[in-house]
Amino acid sequence: MNRFPIIRVVSKFMIPYILLFGLYVQFHGDFGPGGGFQAGVIFASAIILYGLVYGLSAAQEVAPSWLIEKLIAVGLVLYAGTGFVCMALGGKFLDYDTLEHDLWSELPHGQHLGIFAVELGVGITVTSVMVMIYYAFAGRDRVV
Amino acid sequence: MEIIVIPILALLAVTAVTIARIRNLWAAVMFTGIYSFLSASWMLILDAPDVAFTEAAVGAGIATILMLATLSLVPKNKHKGGGIQNSDFETKRLRGRSVVGSLIVALGTGAMLVYGTLDMPHFGDSHAPIQEYPRPSFVERSQGDMHGLPNVVTAVLASYRGYDTLGETAVIFTAGIAVLLILRRNTDDNDRDANLETTSSNGGGSKPIAVATTSKNSEEAAS
Amino acid sequence: MIVVEVLAWICLVAGSFFSIVGGFGIVRMPEFFSRMHAGGITDTLGAGLVVLGLLFHSDGVLPAIKLLMILFFLLVTSPTACHALAKSALSQGMRPELENDAVKSKATGS
Repeated sequence: MNRFPIIRVVSKFMIPYILLFGLYVQFHGDFGPGGGFQAGVIFASAIILYGLVYGLSAAQEVAPSWLIEKLIAVGLVLYAGTGFVCMALGGKFLDYDTLEHDLWSELPHGQHLGIFAVELGVGITVTSVMVMIYYAFAGRDRVV
Repeated sequence: MEIIVIPILALLAVTAVTIARIRNLWAAVMFTGIYSFLSASWMLILDAPDVAFTEAAVGAGIATILMLATLSLVPKNKHKGGGIQNSDFETKRLRGRSVVGSLIVALGTGAMLVYGTLDMPHFGDSHAPIQEYPRPSFVERSQGDMHGLPNVVTAVLASYRGYDTLGETAVIFTAGIAVLLILRRNTDDNDRDANLETTSSNGGGSKPIAVATTSKNSEEAAS
Repeated sequence: MIVVEVLAWICLVAGSFFSIVGGFGIVRMPEFFSRMHAGGITDTLGAGLVVLGLLFHSDGVLPAIKLLMILFFLLVTSPTACHALAKSALSQGMRPELENDAVKSKATGS
């Protein structure tokens, strides 16, 4: 593990920025280019970089595989759940207009809130699937 | 059209031919990474930065890592040394025998594909289905519908075409579950099987970057 | 203003020049480590000068800050990639061809 000090230092330095960029793409996706899919793969690539440099066990301490496995489903449930909430509020499935509210002005409204929730669900699923596939490959033998 | 498109497309074609012709699998994997970066820059020129992100992160990053991980699991003599001569011999033999047949199949498939494109609208046709549906009015309406969200792509993807995106997410979910079922080893039985594999294929040599320690630990625990 | 414009173009042209030189170097250099040196020129000096030229060209603070961040990340990551390449080449048993070796091999060869 101690054979590559420069790579370890530089990647430790870069990973927070990659994660930050992933979050930016996720939550700024309504305004600029980006969205759940893009943010998911960027976020996952940061975790995979950590796993490559520090070893699989270190990455699994950060993102344990039991959590990742559950998050795969959580993202999809969040997406479909948004649709069911819309139905429960009297609209059609995934009809975000019913999400209009006046609880808190900082919170996005209506369509914006729906898009926000749905993109978050996509992002969670994509991140966890990518990380999980990496774990499945890397766990079999030596990591590349 | 911008001039930079021409060299990028030419490099894409060169890279694709190189991937098909190169015999060294490790080099071929690196070329697929180069291909992904080139297509990412091409997509950036086509004003699709979000697709370019995805291509750079998935195609050049994650897919390359997964391919390298797969190659490192393959025993070395399968793709180096004696094996390659055998396979070369094999391809030569096959090439001699069935070149006419495969040429007919390839030309037939290609001709059918070209015939299929004749029905498609011309490139950049303003009456093509992709320009008509979703109706252009979507672009004008989305600002009002979406409470002033400026990104029409996100609006179409997540709201107007919400069902499609739900389906896509379900596809990713299903693919992830399938990989989990096939590749994961969690129980002790699986561990023992995998250990047999590891010991038989352990001639991999030292790899350039980090080496995982988990399989070592689990080996000790299992024994 | 004209001074800034001239500076920008000097940087852009110099950056392109170094990129081309790096490209030639990758093709023409005799062995792995000197080729990597040529690749490093493209990464740092070439791309760095182009970004610097764009920085002079940029209008407004936000694009300038973004370009500075790109420059910063470029200068951090490219040498690291070079280092990783060199290190793994060394660990796989590749050794740089030194001038003495070339002279020696020439002497023994002729």
